[in-house]
Amino acid sequence: MRRGVTTIGLLAAAFAAAGGVWLTGSGGQRVGRQAFDLAALRALPDQFPRTADFDFVPPEPGSYALPPIKPAASAVLLDHTGVRVDLGSLLKGRISLVSFVYLTCTDVNGCPLAMSLLYEIEHASRTAAPLRVSVQLVTISFDPKRDPPAALAALADPRRAEVAAGHVMDWHFLTGTSEEDLKPLLKGFGQVVDRGTDLGRINHTLRLFLVDASGRIRNIYGLGTMDPRLLMSDIATLLLEQAGAG
Amino acid sequence: MTDMLDHLSRRQVLAGSAATLMLGTAGHLVPAWADETCQSPYMPMITGQEEYMYVWTLGVEGVGDASDKMVTVDVRPGSPTYGKVVNSVSVGGRHEAHHAGFTSDRRALWAGGLDTSRIFIFDVASDAGKPRLAKTIETFVKDSGGAVGPHTFYALPGRMIISALSNDRDHGGRTALVEYTDEGTFVATHWIPTKEDPRGAKLVDDFADGYGYDVRALIRKNVMLTSSFTGWSNYMMDFGKMLQDKEAMQRFGGTVVQWDLHTRKPRRVFKVPGAPLEIRFGWGPTSNWAFTSSALTSKLWLIYEDAKGEWQAKEVADIGDPSKIPLPVDISIASDDKTLWVNTFMDGKTRLFDISDPMKPKQVYEKKIAAQVNMVSQSWDGKRVYFTASLLANWDKKGADNEQFIKGYAWDGKELTEKFAIDSFKEGLGRAHLMTFGSSKLYSA
Repeated sequence: MRRGVTTIGLLAAAFAAAGGVWLTGSGGQRVGRQAFDLAALRALPDQFPRTADFDFVPPEPGSYALPPIKPAASAVLLDHTGVRVDLGSLLKGRISLVSFVYLTCTDVNGCPLAMSLLYEIEHASRTAAPLRVSVQLVTISFDPKRDPPAALAALADPRRAEVAAGHVMDWHFLTGTSEEDLKPLLKGFGQVVDRGTDLGRINHTLRLFLVDASGRIRNIYGLGTMDPRLLMSDIATLLLEQAGAG
Repeated sequence: MTDMLDHLSRRQVLAGSAATLMLGTAGHLVPAWADETCQSPYMPMITGQEEYMYVWTLGVEGVGDASDKMVTVDVRPGSPTYGKVVNSVSVGGRHEAHHAGFTSDRRALWAGGLDTSRIFIFDVASDAGKPRLAKTIETFVKDSGGAVGPHTFYALPGRMIISALSNDRDHGGRTALVEYTDEGTFVATHWIPTKEDPRGAKLVDDFADGYGYDVRALIRKNVMLTSSFTGWSNYMMDFGKMLQDKEAMQRFGGTVVQWDLHTRKPRRVFKVPGAPLEIRFGWGPTSNWAFTSSALTSKLWLIYEDAKGEWQAKEVADIGDPSKIPLPVDISIASDDKTLWVNTFMDGKTRLFDISDPMKPKQVYEKKIAAQVNMVSQSWDGKRVYFTASLLANWDKKGADNEQFIKGYAWDGKELTEKFAIDSFKEGLGRAHLMTFGSSKLYSA
């Protein structure tokens, strides 16, 4: 399921060539307690195959708890149009998968891998109403100098129409106002970014954060746990919890 | 660096990309998989030459400042201070220093005190040669709802899972797994299943004791295992006195529990008599097994996935002569899954087992390290093997047999050759226990 590309831009192009359609974010309709068919929720992990990397039967959604880990940190960021966005407000009301990347990352086990997983989830949302209605992707660049809003627009703009039409889930692309302003946000999430002397590459831990509709981090994924089935099971577990059916 | 990159690729192939990764450039953060072959695979690791060894050391009255401390030994070949103590951070007081483990970003080293249940968090990223005490958690018992004796610190992404040894109700062996954020905030407690409260687990041998010791995971299979030792009332008791106390000798763990790693729910409980201690998973892509050694019965056990996909436990070898109670303590698996070092405390020996066929381990080498020996750590390539002496403050030998040391050896595949030895009493350090490796190359600044 992993796509063998080396940059996020190439990855996006490859996905488009494979039949994906990029549309723009809608600006975010808020649906906090949408009722779903329970069977549809519990089937979310089934959209992805068992692989050698994740060679097990995923846990049944709602059969376990995801204790709150900590509040998601907030900051004022810029969206792909340059508009200031309060991250804390954006994260309220919907479940979010938050990732930190830089767009020129070329490590196949770094940002492109995380983006590949997010593309797969976005693609799955075409046939999974719970994802479209109650879940959003939030990708934040920690390299604001090289990833200004215009760079993010290349990813966000092609999605706008399909998101607005409700065909795919919303995906927000954000960047910092400066490296300095981003530091408290990165520290708050626990996202390590270590800038070495090689200005082209930025060392960082690969992380995805699952944030609930109240803005609390409920799970943290590293490379070994980036199984889309686990993410789907966790998302469904939170939705069942919201519906009081967990 | 090339070696490190090669190892990264190899490990990703072997282990199925199951790790947290530091994205690296030459000379800075390195994408690497392992140094000591027994750490959490979630963290970046050192596949080349380790620079420092951090030794968590028990304070002894009349020795140095008498306090527990995190000691740094320089293990850089050719360094003027090779094999010497280059830094020591006292935490003040004696807490029964025992085990320690890095966070998943390997920027902090958590170390526990089995007596006071305090957890000391050291910053090892700012200066890898000089760890700094950054935070102390003094509320472990209260946070966890009664767990006592934080033992293994096992890194998960953004979190630390800690296996405890005891509880504050009866100070016996019933205990829990406890989770904290990397920042040191309590997250959750997961009590280990008992027969009365199996918590949904299948009791394979109709037995469950609720005891804890080590915790390790095979991420690729979503399997986590815990082993079982004994509670505060025993591990803080004089060893000779305990051996004469028939009731106390009944209070040892005899189980290994299989958990769902993702949900932290117990799945199966196996009867493994005689206090199974350290758990070491194989690293290979089809190594769906782990070894543990039972201290009191002196056996190697294999916990493995059978042809039907069910996990089982099987006794696969004796360690020394079990009738003499050699007391196997620490074990260390080679990165190629072919050999396993096993230390036996009572005879002071280290033994190497060929585990090419994990169902039929065979001892192929042994060497007496000292009158007593406890912990063993090896480099990723297996060419360097390190030993410490102390088991527990009240269990160590007495008199002339109470040799206290940190030793480094070279292993050429046939013979261990001593490279350095530190007398930890003469150096004013105390009783040396857990060793783990450090390197400045993990951090860019």
